[in-house]
Amino acid sequence: MSSRDSRAPGRRQRLLATGPSPLALIVLGAAVGLLLCAYANALSREGGDPTQLVYWAGVLLVVVPIAARIGMEDVSLRERFALAALFALSLYAIKVIRDPFLFTFPDEPIHAYNANQAMLHHGLFNGNPILPVTSGYPGLASATSALMSLTGMSSFGAGVILIGLARLLLVLALFVLFTRVSGSHRLAGLAVVIYAGSSNFLYWGVQYSYESLSLPLLVAVLAALAEREAAGPRLARSWAAPIVLGTMAVVVTHHLTSYALVIVLALLAVIYRLVRSPKPNPWPFAVFAAVLAAGWLLVAAPNTVDYLSPVLSGAVTSIWNTIFGASKARGLFQSPSSAVVYETPFLARLITLAAVGLLLLGYLAGFREAWGRRAKRPFVVLFCLGGAAFFATLALRLAPEAWETGNRAGMYLFIGLAFVVAHAVLRLMRAGPRLLLRRAALLACIAVVVVGGAIAGWPWDSQLAQPTRITAGGTELESEPITLARWIGERLPGGKFAAADADARMILAPGEARAKTGDALAIKTILPETSLSNWELPSLRGNGLGYIVADRRKVATDPGRGSFFYVPGSEGDALLPRAAMRKFGERRLGRTYDSGNIVVFDLRDRP
Amino acid sequence: MRGHRDLRWVCLAAIVAALVAALVPWEVVRLLAALPLAVFLPGYAITAAAFGSQRLDPQRLAMLVLLCGLSLLCLGGLVLNYLPGGLRTVTWALLLVLAVFAAARGAAVRRGKPDGRGSGWTRPRLRGFDVACVALAAAVTAGALVFAYTPLPASKAVGSTALWMLPAEDAATSAVDVGVISAEQGPQRYRLEVQVGEEGPLRRYRLALDPGEERVFEVPLEIPSGKKARVVASLYDSERPHELYRRVTTWTTGSPPGEG
Repeated sequence: MSSRDSRAPGRRQRLLATGPSPLALIVLGAAVGLLLCAYANALSREGGDPTQLVYWAGVLLVVVPIAARIGMEDVSLRERFALAALFALSLYAIKVIRDPFLFTFPDEPIHAYNANQAMLHHGLFNGNPILPVTSGYPGLASATSALMSLTGMSSFGAGVILIGLARLLLVLALFVLFTRVSGSHRLAGLAVVIYAGSSNFLYWGVQYSYESLSLPLLVAVLAALAEREAAGPRLARSWAAPIVLGTMAVVVTHHLTSYALVIVLALLAVIYRLVRSPKPNPWPFAVFAAVLAAGWLLVAAPNTVDYLSPVLSGAVTSIWNTIFGASKARGLFQSPSSAVVYETPFLARLITLAAVGLLLLGYLAGFREAWGRRAKRPFVVLFCLGGAAFFATLALRLAPEAWETGNRAGMYLFIGLAFVVAHAVLRLMRAGPRLLLRRAALLACIAVVVVGGAIAGWPWDSQLAQPTRITAGGTELESEPITLARWIGERLPGGKFAAADADARMILAPGEARAKTGDALAIKTILPETSLSNWELPSLRGNGLGYIVADRRKVATDPGRGSFFYVPGSEGDALLPRAAMRKFGERRLGRTYDSGNIVVFDLRDRP
Repeated sequence: MRGHRDLRWVCLAAIVAALVAALVPWEVVRLLAALPLAVFLPGYAITAAAFGSQRLDPQRLAMLVLLCGLSLLCLGGLVLNYLPGGLRTVTWALLLVLAVFAAARGAAVRRGKPDGRGSGWTRPRLRGFDVACVALAAAVTAGALVFAYTPLPASKAVGSTALWMLPAEDAATSAVDVGVISAEQGPQRYRLEVQVGEEGPLRRYRLALDPGEERVFEVPLEIPSGKKARVVASLYDSERPHELYRRVTTWTTGSPPGEG
């Protein structure tokens, strides 16, 4: 080694010893990334036309340095764990920054209503007019009401904190699970970062919704199970307590997650048997979860069957029809809502497709190595199967009624995929020629996977915030639907409303009144049509509804976009014909509220 | 719990946190007390009860504290739902303190006599540069959050004006409340006309509203007893005084004198 070469590492060592640690610099980088995301969102809320590049640069400033450090060889377990926690909280903060004033994601107001009702009635199971099944799974409302009661915060504030804790649990549990199954905390760190490539990680998975709480609990139960498997007989009993507690919490929080837990535990029990694992078979936990989930379904939430059966049978029918040409395949990158047509740029589509391609390559490359561990760790078989099933669910995205089922299943299956792909990444990061180049290429690939996942999971036009609250003349103003919701909360709190999807959700929270929407009582049909049939209004009245909210904005039928300020020239500026509003006036119904695009008619106020 | 310093601290912290959460009026202070009380203290106590004298590394401990704490919150509401009082500040605080005490007691029993070993947790050494970096990161994050939570002007967003009408609640005589809410971007001037029945007098009101302002008018109704009449409130924007801007209507029946 030349003298120059020998000096260089010495200088580097000294610099490393005296300068800030890599972890501290990464924390600072993540903070700057958040600032960039806040800036891009602020520009978007301002109604400007921000380039999304600033936003994605912010996201990458969080993801890439953490991915780079967490994949390095000489990093301690404690630092990797801290990096995983930082990763979870930073990416969650991006969602919080996008929606800082109130819940606007489709399911959020529904669950906020449940929490508010729990506070109002000092009890659970109060019913929900839009999604009745949610009332039968009160885990989220229970936890939120605890924070609301103890802090005096609104359901929004308590919900943001609760989901933040759940996200932290998800990532820490994944880290513990992957570490235990692989025996490598380096691989575990990489797998956690790769899991962020799941299409629901950045946004959908952190909305204030029951699944956002139940999935982390499920993963933590699996991590505890993996730990129990590795522990001696004495410690194994200790691990059983959190497994039982977590299973009970999952069952009372979310239907599909509890069924997923039963399936996973049953599969594990079978795999343990097939690989003749000497470790204790988890079948008692599978039976316990199955009995609990079935009991809960029968006793507390029998309407789950009515809720899930049309979704699942619709998905099966849709797949069948798409395969045999009876219905057209769904186009990728398309909104499920007909109210808004948005264009995903070519580059964004390319990144998303490249992400899928890279994941497939990673799966194929990592499979052999991961599969080799199956005899020691039955979890590996489960992960390998899950990874393969993920690619099968991608096909569901082509069937119009099945894409959501595929998208939701992806959150669970991606756990296995991330584990297998991390094996491939780790293999390519091992010492050898052109290590630096390989590492740079792998980081670029991880960036593509994370960004591609985010684009696949959330509409391009909704990545950035839209205005719900603005300032004018030194005062804060809220959008038309939110102004209506607050007026209802103040003046008609006991009213029962029929409204378009977005309006109904705002009436639930922050309005805190009751509203029905969608297919219920044909509201979806009645609102946009230009003339009324004779049965329609009596049907609404007969079902106890007092008011109908007519909204000319077509975007009002889109629960993800309909609560923002009306911006002419934007994708969601289309209006229904005036006749859609006039038809109620022709029946001489009383008009209680009129804000231009939105008119509230009193169904009982007539000559 | 004698000799188990961690468990004693957990119990003491639970009591203090419960008192702060139940008695202090400030939201931020309550939040600082409520988060440990709701999640971390019960999570730690339950984990300690489950594992007894076994030591857990920080990674597993952190995961278990969150798992047990959040699970207890999901299940605790069910317990309170069927107890007198239901879900309230006091009942939640009591339940969580009881859970912490019971689990801590269970942990102490399972641990037996203290073995004198430390927690095994070593505090990370912090260097000046690290502290500076993390402090700067905290400041930048706080800046990002303040930036996000600050509503901004949005010139392209269309404001709205709402007109509403409901029966007056506290009127001595039969009357309606007619309100105008301005969520417009600038000051607006309006003319409000209220007509009771086809032949009733037309009442006119002129009003100017700043953004975010609301005005409510109580309009008395003089309708003969038993007769039904339509009340129509029409709002005109002063910039287009002849073009109807908003309209609300209601049908109302005249009540006998004295039954306001």
